[in-house]
Amino acid sequence: MDIHPDTIIFAMINFCILVVGLKVFLYKPVCNMLDSRREEVINNLNSAEEAKLEAQKLKDEYAAQIQNARAEAQDIINQAAKIGEQTKVDIVTEAREEAARLTARAQEEIAREKSEALAEIRNEIAEMAVLAAEKVVGKTIDAKDHENMVNNFVKEVGEAK
Amino acid sequence: MFLTNVVIASAHHAGPLFKLGPLEVTSEITTMWGVMILILLVSFLGTRNMKRIPSGLQNILEMGIEMYENFWTDILGKKRTRELMPILATFFILILCSNYTGLLPLSGTLPGLKPPTSNVSTTAGLAICVFFLVLYYNLKVQGPIGYIKHLIGPMPAISFLMLPLNIVEQFTRPLSLALRLYGSVYGEEMVVMSLAALCPLVLPLTMQVMGILFGAIQAFVFTLLASIYLEEATAVHH
Repeated sequence: MDIHPDTIIFAMINFCILVVGLKVFLYKPVCNMLDSRREEVINNLNSAEEAKLEAQKLKDEYAAQIQNARAEAQDIINQAAKIGEQTKVDIVTEAREEAARLTARAQEEIAREKSEALAEIRNEIAEMAVLAAEKVVGKTIDAKDHENMVNNFVKEVGEAK
Repeated sequence: MFLTNVVIASAHHAGPLFKLGPLEVTSEITTMWGVMILILLVSFLGTRNMKRIPSGLQNILEMGIEMYENFWTDILGKKRTRELMPILATFFILILCSNYTGLLPLSGTLPGLKPPTSNVSTTAGLAICVFFLVLYYNLKVQGPIGYIKHLIGPMPAISFLMLPLNIVEQFTRPLSLALRLYGSVYGEEMVVMSLAALCPLVLPLTMQVMGILFGAIQAFVFTLLASIYLEEATAVHH
């Protein structure tokens, strides 16, 4: 076991050169790559977490919106049903009123037509009676007789009917 | 027996291969250079075109670095791990690969190919690096006065006893690191060579399979102790 000073010096120099060489060619690039990758992974994880939170927030928002929309739709349906029901009641009432009005008008018309017809018939009969009486009696009858005669006749006709 | 002695002797007395300026280059150093080139080449190839989704070599390197980081974070904490990991991981990778060069064919017998950690001078060089790093961080974190206070200990009454003990401890730590690593790898190398001399095919193979485990354990122990020393040196700061 002999000590060789030159070999000691060479070993030390070699070690120093290798430290510098490996620092340049190995540790620095690899450590930089590992650091950047680690940073990227952390950033990606953070982004993913943020995106997840954002998605959850949007989901909650949309769920609330859907809930509101459903409630609103239900309100609209209820309101429409209510309006429909009201409209139905109104239409039916109006129809009934119209029907009643038409019936009343028709009855009135009938009554009026009837009375008109009766008056007309009465006049014609009176005229015919006067003519017949003139022929039977052979003289002209005055207005008072004429009226009495007509009334009696009409009365008789009415009773006979 | 003669062959065994020849093999051991050749491994023991391998002299310098050539001179680089005033310094002599041995087989351990050339092997260490080879290991360094291989480590740097793999690192370069694995990180030259990094993608966000890793695959192949990049995946392996990232996994390894992340594993180191997680392991040392438990000992040193996150901040100090980032600062000290390049040093500690380099110790581990260099020692592990150096130990495994002993598994290569003709390792220790071929000139220029010898496990660097089987030489006490190489392990001493690495241990001295640990010593200076610990000293640097002690001075950086505690300051010179704080470091001296640390060496004196919490009880001034027995400082005359504690100061020399603590100073000796600062030197025995790297010494123990160097000798432990050297002894283990050198011992294993010697056993493999002896067994190779006895029965060249089967016996060394079993020892070499165990060498895979021993090499990893020794690299781990060296790095773990270095990280504990550095953790102590930087503890006040945190």
